[in-house]
Amino acid sequence: MKAALDTRAVVRAGVILVVVALAVTLYSTFIGGAGSDSSRAISAAGATTSTITTTAINEAPNTPLIQAGVNTDVATATAPGPAPATSENNRLAQNIVNGITFGLLLALASVGLSLIYGTTGLSNFAHGEQVSFGAVLTYFLATSDKVSLPLIPLKFTIGLPLIVAAIAAVLISGGTGWLQNKFLWSPLRRKHVGVVQQMIVSIGLSLALVNLLQWWMGGGKLRLSTSIDTRHHWGPIDISNQTIISMVISIACLLGVSWFLLYTRLGRATRAVSDNPSLAAASGIKVDSIVRLVWILATSLAAVGGILLALYEQATSFDAGARVLLLMFAAVTLGGLGQPFGALVGSLVIGVVVEVSTLWLPPDLKFATALGILIVVLLFRPQGILGRSERVG
Amino acid sequence: MTAKEDPFAHVNATPGAAKVDPIIVAHGVHRTFGGLTAVDVEHLEVQRNAITALIGPNGAGKSTFFNLLTGFDKPQKGEWFFNGESLQSHSPAKVARAGMVRTFQLTKALSRMTVIENMRLGAAGQGGEAFFTALVPPLWRAKEALITIKAEELLDRFKLLDKQNDFAGELSGGQRKLLEMARALMSDPEIVMLDEPMAGVNPALTESLLEHIVELREQGVTVLFVEHDMHMVRRISNWVVVMAEGKIIAEGPPETVMQNTAVQDAYLGAHHDTDLSEDLS
Amino acid sequence: MDFAGLLTDAGRELFAPTTAAFALAAIGLNFHFGLTGLLNMGQAGFMLLGMYGYAITVREIEQHDGQLFGITMAAGATVAIGFLVAIVLAVLFGLLLGWPTLKLRGDYLAIVTIAAAEMVRFLGRSQSFKDLTGGSTGIRGKDFKGPFESLSPFPDRQVTIGPFTMHGSVSTSWWLVVVSWSVVALAALLFWRLSRSPWGRVLKGVREDEDAVRSLGKNVYGYKMQALVLGGVIGALGGVLWSFGNAVAPDSMGRPTTFWIWTLLLLGGAATVFGPILGSALFWTALVIVKGLAAMFIPTDWLAPTQLEPFSLMLVGVTLMLLVIFRPQGILGDRRELAINDR
Repeated sequence: MKAALDTRAVVRAGVILVVVALAVTLYSTFIGGAGSDSSRAISAAGATTSTITTTAINEAPNTPLIQAGVNTDVATATAPGPAPATSENNRLAQNIVNGITFGLLLALASVGLSLIYGTTGLSNFAHGEQVSFGAVLTYFLATSDKVSLPLIPLKFTIGLPLIVAAIAAVLISGGTGWLQNKFLWSPLRRKHVGVVQQMIVSIGLSLALVNLLQWWMGGGKLRLSTSIDTRHHWGPIDISNQTIISMVISIACLLGVSWFLLYTRLGRATRAVSDNPSLAAASGIKVDSIVRLVWILATSLAAVGGILLALYEQATSFDAGARVLLLMFAAVTLGGLGQPFGALVGSLVIGVVVEVSTLWLPPDLKFATALGILIVVLLFRPQGILGRSERVG
Repeated sequence: MTAKEDPFAHVNATPGAAKVDPIIVAHGVHRTFGGLTAVDVEHLEVQRNAITALIGPNGAGKSTFFNLLTGFDKPQKGEWFFNGESLQSHSPAKVARAGMVRTFQLTKALSRMTVIENMRLGAAGQGGEAFFTALVPPLWRAKEALITIKAEELLDRFKLLDKQNDFAGELSGGQRKLLEMARALMSDPEIVMLDEPMAGVNPALTESLLEHIVELREQGVTVLFVEHDMHMVRRISNWVVVMAEGKIIAEGPPETVMQNTAVQDAYLGAHHDTDLSEDLS
Repeated sequence: MDFAGLLTDAGRELFAPTTAAFALAAIGLNFHFGLTGLLNMGQAGFMLLGMYGYAITVREIEQHDGQLFGITMAAGATVAIGFLVAIVLAVLFGLLLGWPTLKLRGDYLAIVTIAAAEMVRFLGRSQSFKDLTGGSTGIRGKDFKGPFESLSPFPDRQVTIGPFTMHGSVSTSWWLVVVSWSVVALAALLFWRLSRSPWGRVLKGVREDEDAVRSLGKNVYGYKMQALVLGGVIGALGGVLWSFGNAVAPDSMGRPTTFWIWTLLLLGGAATVFGPILGSALFWTALVIVKGLAAMFIPTDWLAPTQLEPFSLMLVGVTLMLLVIFRPQGILGDRRELAINDR
């Protein structure tokens, strides 16, 4: 039925897209420049980053809105992260640069998510918390503020240098990946628990972890680096030191992962398992070892992504990763579930689209744009750019 | 139909031969996957009220053709008619409602429903299956009682009556096959399409299944089945259609069709009777 | 806090309107997942849409001196119209959501429904729609609760019944308790009736194996759509009732809310009539008890009052994991009829 499915799905996607586009256009025409005004106002306050914070997830279980310490208004950061655009002409270039930066960070987290899906079939809803954990742990190790551990009434400061803390956090995160696989996911797979059930387990894990992080670190913003950032002006683009460093580190990591996947035997085996686990097993590849490796790699990369994201946004919080979880899913789906290079491409596309959309849509809707892409991709081409269609319907 | 009036008495044993009273007529059915041609059937007619077997080596395209006929797949081109009614753009549900019911190679007994509920689900015409009607029990209770009686009759015929309140998942594999067959009969189909009915069935049950299938024909139901088990094919089929590489390469009565060289080549390879020692020297 | 106080609080949770609202949302999800096997991870989106539909409609009528298209509306009519709009929005959302996605495989549907629900939340809390939806602060109670509260036969003051004191009519009130649990009872009755009907039988078949059901002549897509819309409407009603006791706040209806609904459905037992109700009652009561006990026994050095909430919600997450791994049928479910299947 696939041929018929594609044309009908395309037609439906088209209709929905036209209807939504019409609605948005009509709305912005009548309600007007409100969108671009607020975005300019926000840029002027030097806090384009805060639009990410305004869409924080505030949980209020039984009582009306509890502002769990996260600003819902425009935050005034001391030193802005991604640079605000200066004039209309430069905005596009600036947004593209911002988009690529954000996309690279997203890619770090998404590649792991894609590999986990490919090798084990698990849609890991707790991956956002892996991102948060890396950043929060780094803060815990590096900050000169007093910190504590849950249930232990001691306040102390560890205060390691940022680089050391970051590396330690990445290593520990990799360790949590190994632990998870050994004590949770591997036993579940051996008991032949279905992937749907595993997905719901990951949802429970996500709930538990996000609340554990909030319990541990509170609901507020955590600053990883308090130094004032120097900005550079390269033609139409503003870029800060930290952004440059983040880009360099993420490109280096991604290149490293790519080299591993393309040129090492272990990496090729990983790609084989991610593409077709049963075929890989039949060819003699030790799937269990590969899966263990994938979990360690995925959680380590997520931690790096979380740390760099924290530097990019000037701060992190217990739900930093939860906020980007759906973007990760969008990126992975766009690129093709189980295709690590697809996750990379998808992340860059999502990153750029999210940032560039602020030219036309109000910034607090930019995540909605990404979600819209996710929905459209799932209709039009559910296997994504690089995926195979058997996985789908 | 009695043994005397053999509808195949004057039918040519050639691929695409016309039948006396065809219930299905397929023409020019073409299905490709990527670059691979899975099905390329020029013409096929299936005789009403007879048991026709569809055989062929692995990869011949039998299951694909089966899926195409029953609406579970769409071809690139082709047309086919069921009782003169065109079916090629019908969804599988519509095909079933037209009177063509199929079973599956991997038995789809609905495990977490009871046997009797499985059977009731197979019935057609239960108005209570519509949402608003379902809200008003008096509108569907009577029909439900009728359906239950019929279900129990069929279960009795297939020797599953005492298991009617068990969950289908608790039945053995063979019993599930019988359940699927019984369930398929609930809607009084004109033709039953069996997809490898003998697959994974232990020899003790085979006999029973064969008898049930012959009984179907006796009751006026047409049967088309895909099989690998040549004993079964020889025992009960009235007519055999052989596919290989997507095409129909032979048709004929079961006794003679296997003698056909094209068929032998398809199964055993083109040079199966060559003396290998010539190659080794 | 003493034990007696804790018990009273726990008892109050048992019949609280919020418990009823979530039970309703869970009954809706039961139609989706328990009966049909649909992985709807966006039930909070239906609730939020219902809330917005009701509150915006009633607010507009109220702001026009109770006039709609020039006709003066009595409180009862206003409430009815509000509910009607909520239901229509839920139906449209369900149709829009289902139309392209019901052909996708399970975990894809999960992701799309989460994305769609989050989009509703993003759009609702966006500054661009502030005039309509109130942006991130939402819609205040006094803008939309009036007509409903004016229908209350209870006195307009605090009323004490047994050990429980609540207002007669305003916000979280005895009136709301009566109304919300009545709706829950109706929804449970509906589920009971439908799950035992031929319609319900087809859905159970779809849950098992869609192709088998197709081969028996049923239009699987249509049935899935009906289940999606019905469960969504019930969820929307739960949302409206929830907003009567709280306010319309988009951030209260996010992903975690959907996950709680799943937890309490699986806790009580999916595919059962009373599972959602039992699950909701247990969930909220246990939450209160855990928080109360933690506050009583764990010194504040170890667990500060602000940490009680995340601490207990963390336990919710762990509970969900344990439930799914060890007892997926929940308390009332039948293991043989396990709602979660290995697909």
